[in-house]
Amino acid sequence: MKDIKIKVNDLSLYYGEKKALNEITMDIPANKVTALIGPSGCGKSTFLRCINRMNDLISNVSITGQMLVEGVDIYDKNVDVVNIRKKIGMVFQKSNPFPKSIYENIAYGPRINGINNKAELDEIVEKSLRQAAIWDELKDRLEDSALGLSGGQQQRLCIGRTLAVSPDIILMDEPASALDPISTSKIEELIHELKEQYTIIIVTHNMQQAARTSDHTAFFYMGNLIEMGKTNSIFTKPMQKQTEDYITGRFG
Amino acid sequence: MATHFEMELDNLKSIIKKIGKLAEGQVSEAVKILLQEPEAAEGKIIKKTENKIDKLDVKIDEICQSIFALKQPVASDLRFIMSAMQISNEIERIGDLSISIVKKAKNIKEKHDLIVKFNIADISRQVELITAKTNICFAEQDGKATGEIFVLNKDIRNSCEDAIHDIINEMKVNSKAVVSGTNLVIVLKHLERISEHCTNIAEYVYFTVNAKIIKHDKFDDLRSED
Ligand SMILES: Nc1ncnc2c1ncn2[C@@H]1O[C@H](COP(=O)(O)OP(=O)(O)OP(=O)(O)O)[C@@H](O)[C@H]1O
Ligand SMILES: [Mg+2]
Repeated sequence: MKDIKIKVNDLSLYYGEKKALNEITMDIPANKVTALIGPSGCGKSTFLRCINRMNDLISNVSITGQMLVEGVDIYDKNVDVVNIRKKIGMVFQKSNPFPKSIYENIAYGPRINGINNKAELDEIVEKSLRQAAIWDELKDRLEDSALGLSGGQQQRLCIGRTLAVSPDIILMDEPASALDPISTSKIEELIHELKEQYTIIIVTHNMQQAARTSDHTAFFYMGNLIEMGKTNSIFTKPMQKQTEDYITGRFG
Repeated sequence: MATHFEMELDNLKSIIKKIGKLAEGQVSEAVKILLQEPEAAEGKIIKKTENKIDKLDVKIDEICQSIFALKQPVASDLRFIMSAMQISNEIERIGDLSISIVKKAKNIKEKHDLIVKFNIADISRQVELITAKTNICFAEQDGKATGEIFVLNKDIRNSCEDAIHDIINEMKVNSKAVVSGTNLVIVLKHLERISEHCTNIAEYVYFTVNAKIIKHDKFDDLRSED
């Protein structure tokens, strides 16, 4: 189907003997924001990392089932991991700019991809920073170190850095959990803007944030996908009692 | 640039303006039918509009529910959404009452004489006026207009009471007037209710703007504060 970007079939993940994801099946729609919620340790980050094969970097991980991105199973042995990661950007909880200039932070990815023309790089830097809603704040200090930026600015810079390599999917693991309310609402507004062009999957502990930013919400519990649906339905009339208990804070 | 939440609030506001306009149209239509002689063609438009009002009322409830659930409105946004739900309720009632007026008007014989005798046209015009003023009060979120609407409501209430009193006296002496008189009393009661609903709407606007609940308060309390 055209508007399904990612199709997950019976995906299970083990850390050694321990099963951390249990036969997850879900469809992630294109050009929408999908939020993953659930209590700590339920497997949200693990699941997110499955989408760009970041779990490959962890030893002792084994995965069964399928993760189809635009119909291609990314765990197929003929698939090139580098290409996958190029298509699928990731933004982490703690912003992690390189200890370089603002400009270089953005230009880094495109350079690795073989773009060396200065004018072209300039253009990418401006476009990415604009998309990350931070161009106006930074345009006069592109040569300054990225480490001198505030947490909220660093996080938007990192989003810009992700956009610079033109992915079509953006994974975000608690992108605003370390930010103040103003930076948070900037990031949330940005997410809303970006979904026109990208498919976004966001892990958040903040239920209100999931509610505000996402179109679809998936509730995970102990490695299981309990329920996934339109955010509006999940937050007004969830089908499962566990979901209801979690979002109303009556868990346990 | 407006955030997408602000755009959502604007959208809600414009839907309420729309349903308010529809109800205002229903009141005018009802008044027209009430004052006309002989009865003109009616029913279709007013029925169709009622369906529209009902649909919008449900839509407003849905929008408010999802804003509460998804956006956690606070402060003036919270008051606006709380008011929005109530206001759409009041508007829906205004629409219903207009329909009732049309139905009762059909049972009034020699309507023209009664209308002249008991000053029904003036009262009807005042009710049309308060409905229009209420819509403006909401559209402009004008808390100050609330006082004016209170005064108008009081006038309408007094006029209705006077007219009802006179009609009852007439019925006492003229038994032929009982059926029409009773229906006219009900019409007047409906007009009075419409005016009350308008006043409630103005109260919610006042609440949204000034963060003060004036429900059940006297207008004088409101005035002594300004
Ligand atoms: N590298 C690892 N090795 C072994 N077990 C792990 C590893 N990473 C995660 N786990 C375990 O897998 C389960 C899921 O962890 P995960 O980090 O995906 O949870 P989460 O939902 O993201 O939690 P949080 O909300 O606290 O970030 C947990 O029980 C965790 O202890
Ligand atoms: Mg996590």
